[in-house]
Amino acid sequence: MLKVSCNVTMDQIALAQCGFLGRPMPLPAFTPRRKAAVSGRPLSKAPVLAVVSDRGGLGRAIVSGSGSLADRLRLGSLTEDGLSYKEMFVVRCYEVGINKTATVETIANLLQEVGCNHAQSVGFSTDGFATTPTMRKLHLIWVTARMHIEIYKYPAWGDVVEIETWCQGDGRIGTRRDWIIKDCATGQVIGRATSKWLMMNQDTRRLQKVSDDVREEYLIYCPREPRLAIPEEDSSSLRKIPKLEDPAHSSKLGLVPRRADFDMNQHVNNVSYIGWVLESIPQEIIDSHELQTITLDYRRECQHNDVVDSLTSVEPVGDAEAVSKLQGTNGSAAGMENKEDLRRFLHLLRLSGDGLEINRGRTEWRKKPAR
Amino acid sequence: MVATAATSAFIPVPSPSPDSGAKATAKKLSNLGGMKSKSAGSSGGLQVKANAQAPPKINGTSVGLTTPVEGVRNECETSSPPPRTFINTLPDWSMLLAAITTIFLAAEKQWMMLDWKPRRPDMLIDPFGLGRIVQDGFVFRQNFSIRSYEIGADRTASIETLMNHLQESALNHVKGAGLLGDGFGSTPEMCKKNLIWVVTRMQVVVDRYPTWGDVVEVDTWVSPSGKNGMRRDWLLRDYKTGEILTRASSVWVMMNKKTRRLSKIPEEVRGEIEPYFMNSAPVVEEDSRKLQKLDDNTADYVRTGLTPRWSDLDVNQHVNNVKYIGWILESAPLPILESHELSAMTLEYRRECGRDSVLQSLTAVSGTGVGNLVNLDDIECQHLLRLEDGAEIVRGRTLWRPKYAKNFGTLGQVPAESS
Repeated sequence: MLKVSCNVTMDQIALAQCGFLGRPMPLPAFTPRRKAAVSGRPLSKAPVLAVVSDRGGLGRAIVSGSGSLADRLRLGSLTEDGLSYKEMFVVRCYEVGINKTATVETIANLLQEVGCNHAQSVGFSTDGFATTPTMRKLHLIWVTARMHIEIYKYPAWGDVVEIETWCQGDGRIGTRRDWIIKDCATGQVIGRATSKWLMMNQDTRRLQKVSDDVREEYLIYCPREPRLAIPEEDSSSLRKIPKLEDPAHSSKLGLVPRRADFDMNQHVNNVSYIGWVLESIPQEIIDSHELQTITLDYRRECQHNDVVDSLTSVEPVGDAEAVSKLQGTNGSAAGMENKEDLRRFLHLLRLSGDGLEINRGRTEWRKKPAR
Repeated sequence: MVATAATSAFIPVPSPSPDSGAKATAKKLSNLGGMKSKSAGSSGGLQVKANAQAPPKINGTSVGLTTPVEGVRNECETSSPPPRTFINTLPDWSMLLAAITTIFLAAEKQWMMLDWKPRRPDMLIDPFGLGRIVQDGFVFRQNFSIRSYEIGADRTASIETLMNHLQESALNHVKGAGLLGDGFGSTPEMCKKNLIWVVTRMQVVVDRYPTWGDVVEVDTWVSPSGKNGMRRDWLLRDYKTGEILTRASSVWVMMNKKTRRLSKIPEEVRGEIEPYFMNSAPVVEEDSRKLQKLDDNTADYVRTGLTPRWSDLDVNQHVNNVKYIGWILESAPLPILESHELSAMTLEYRRECGRDSVLQSLTAVSGTGVGNLVNLDDIECQHLLRLEDGAEIVRGRTLWRPKYAKNFGTLGQVPAESS
């Protein structure tokens, strides 16, 4: 349904299925079973077990009626109407940052995980790429166009959060996936997120309209009426992000992808971009504020040997007013405050060499709560 | 926190209450209402009555529900000793408290059954995989399911993921044993004396890496190490098959966090932790070979300009230990990473680094040398992570085995598994 990682060729999908335990080729005795599992599965809501049994290594494919152990132990499942998926996660100690609370990257990782698990549970591409069978046939994949996350209260180590996710069509060319994050102990909504995905041909790298047969394949799992995690009126999730003016107020240059940033197709994981955006936030903001909202537009992919510059500027309030205010400050990014004591910034990630844009972003920061 | 949620799920009192005590309380509360209006400053009592009868909203209003109860409790604490005539008109606070406690306990039980649908018996004990103490109190056991973002390029959990799980289980052990002082494994006595544990040595042996969706069962325990050290061991198993995946052993010493000087274990701390010491042999045989220090001449590969990101830092803005491993592997040659997998690792931690550090990662390939990397043998590498000025952060040794070596060895076993 939705791609949560990057491109994958058909060979790699097959390899992934067969070579799950790191073997390069499947042993002949097991190939036929695996191939049947990859292509001919009928889509239906019920057989969570049948789907998952395909995903694991040898031996799991045979266990009928019980599913994988992880699936049985999994703390997530489709909701009763089958139109959304909920899962619970405990925040681990290494996912907690300098504020003693989960980092926004942790949250983003969990959103990605639950999106993956949702797609798994409804039977889409059991290799984790969430493509429908028709898409696989046509070499189509989902790519992230925009990611918007709002966090009202960060969970701490040991907290359990419940994330609900669903997806729906978004115009002719895209889909959207929404999330709601709740604190299990209080039932409070502590965060919301939405994302926009486009369909791309993985060979030509060109965007494509979502055809009707693809749409039908996944629409049965989507809510019938539009259901938005972030109501329309609060439209910062939809607002266009302008390109920040040169020179930026603050920057971190020469960021290099690490091995851990790459997925199996040697593309940088979506979540790593968030880390890069945060690298050029000034220290005084990091010390006094916490991230409330982040919106990222994904424009270009980053590859192995790319070097990235991260640029940050205070977001202008209005045209003329902004210019005069900016000239009034000494250019430091700790400049303007607005009425609600929120700091707003624009971001740009670009390739160091030729300046090609990778991502554009906007963030909002609120004062840290007293602890 | 649990109690709060329990209340919000349980009340309205009248309908679903199985507890007759609660109904009696409701009546009592309504009687209270009349009395309360006479006495001053007891709005807490009035509010309790009101809420008992009105079905509250569940979302986010649990705070509203706790407040009146707390108001009641505060009243109780401050109303001593009341004048004699006043006592006769006061309600029976102890009965009220007992009733409220009963409600909480019943609600908690009901909430636990409603929201968690345990699929296995031990899920009731450990539904979120937070771990529990087993084996006469010495061993702590926790399960981890491998999440999609924890797997590496070859679809298996990365060594960093495994090390993260070790760290998490260690902290949860300390917490589960009731010894968590400050959230970093320092016991209460240690916190008083400004002492912290620092890891000096880590050895890990990986037999098989778990994949996405696997559930890993981690057992961890502590033993003494010399007179003033502690050893923590881990054993990781595949939850389903019981197969041993990884073994790890680490050595810790105590340091004063202000002076940064090593410290003996004070008697008070010894009293806290000794009851938990097992006297077992290390789960990984100690590799006592000296780790050599690399330099620009002896290294085959060097990677410079490594800087910590925000997400690498812990609460004290020091780089998390596990991140060092990622940096060490940054300078490991790509051919080795592609054809081999890390099978064993020995690390010596020497210094910590922070946000502004710039590091260099050096690697030397032992034995065959750089020309012959793509082969079917095990490869051994030496590593050094240092600051630009040369100060050493970590020394290491890694052993790599060919990725597909195990297949040839276990061909005979595979068909049996598939049945």
